[in-house]
Amino acid sequence: MKNFWRTLAGIALLILLWQIAAVRLNKGILVPAPSDTLRLMARNFTSLEMLLAAWQTAWKVFVALALAILLGLPLGLLLGLSDGAYHLLRPLIMTVQAVPVISWLSLVIFTWGVGWRGPVFISFLSLFPLAVLTTVAGVHDLDKGLLEMARLYRVPAGKVLREIHLGSLLPFIAAILDVSVGQAWKVVLVAEYLCGGDGLGEAILTARMNVDVPAVWALTLGAVLLGLLSEALIKSIARRFQAAWTRS
Amino acid sequence: MDALITTRDLCKSFDRLEVLRAISLDIQPGERVALMGPSGAGKTTLLKIIAGLELPGRGSLVNRAQRSAFVFQESRLIPWRSVRENLLFVNGQGDYREVLRCVEMEEFENYLPAALSGGMRQRVNLARALITHPDLLILDEAFRSIDLNVKLRLMKAIDRRWQSDKFTLLCVTHDPREALFLADRIILLSARPASILLTIGVDMEKSRDISSFEFLCREASLIHQLADL
Repeated sequence: MKNFWRTLAGIALLILLWQIAAVRLNKGILVPAPSDTLRLMARNFTSLEMLLAAWQTAWKVFVALALAILLGLPLGLLLGLSDGAYHLLRPLIMTVQAVPVISWLSLVIFTWGVGWRGPVFISFLSLFPLAVLTTVAGVHDLDKGLLEMARLYRVPAGKVLREIHLGSLLPFIAAILDVSVGQAWKVVLVAEYLCGGDGLGEAILTARMNVDVPAVWALTLGAVLLGLLSEALIKSIARRFQAAWTRS
Repeated sequence: MDALITTRDLCKSFDRLEVLRAISLDIQPGERVALMGPSGAGKTTLLKIIAGLELPGRGSLVNRAQRSAFVFQESRLIPWRSVRENLLFVNGQGDYREVLRCVEMEEFENYLPAALSGGMRQRVNLARALITHPDLLILDEAFRSIDLNVKLRLMKAIDRRWQSDKFTLLCVTHDPREALFLADRIILLSARPASILLTIGVDMEKSRDISSFEFLCREASLIHQLADL
């Protein structure tokens, strides 16, 4: 309970600093007042157009995240179990991780033009190495004694994979989700902003082009809140999944 | 009768560290053998090689056991699974209640390993070995972290199990009383690289009373022999 009040105080402090900045710097252009921004955000997110934009961004985030987990986990498992495969593919994974978003952007714009595929692909590429490398770390962290025990008692491989590998990886999967959701929102927004098409990123681009700074702030704040909300939602689903798996 | 386990001139080194030197053993089906020797001599390595968990270096090994069970020094329980699930992990059809009763842990079937003491986890480790109905039971200092009363009761439980199932028992221990209670033959190993120094036959009744005069005399004699090495 004490932490709740502290968090609330932290948010209040943030709004106060924002208000001071708005008064000091303000000509209404650079930093709009919090009250104006919040009012605009509330209006935005009750309009059908903005709700649709939020949905368009949200499903891209979900698809990119799902692809990164569904492809990253098995590959990470394979690389964790096979030293040869790990050393063979590690340079590729590291390169994908190191390439800046902007470089992928030019590639996807040339390939697919404006549309949903670019943001999804770029977000996937930014999350995929994290999913692979975290899974590899999870496999390397596995208690070898448990595997030795399973080998001694001739436990079937499928059961070992389910009970020992998956059980050991669950905290790592939770960590991947933890880090990835926020990152996915950021990357999808940037990609939408630069590729165009639809979604909140594109709405921010339109507001910028109209020099509608309060709208840029309101949309950004809305995106942050949606990001936090989806993070909490995914964490809750992951916790339920983990609890259900433990009970199974 | 063919020996269940036969080793001939078994050697093992880890890089340049020689651990086992020319170990030759024959262990008959149903026989109970204790290995004793200084810490770090290579006893666990020998057990692991016999169980197939470690490859031998030079020499030969024949293990005819169909089902081996190993009570490790550390409990090696799956942390996110309950006691019952840990037992069923190695034998889904096993009677987990019966083995838990055997190690006096029947009340703890739904506990996670983290909620148990070290000694209790070790008892589950033993129950996990028993649920597989092994024909070779290997104990690697299995009772090290268990208090004396429980240890004595567990040794008796193993003895009862042996009377009914007649499995082959191979144990490593530093406790002369444990070796004398559980084994028909005690093999003394040298310091690393381990080689067989002496084999002592234990010609007492199969069900032994550790408070009997005969047992206490044998214990004193074994301690004397160990001290002389």
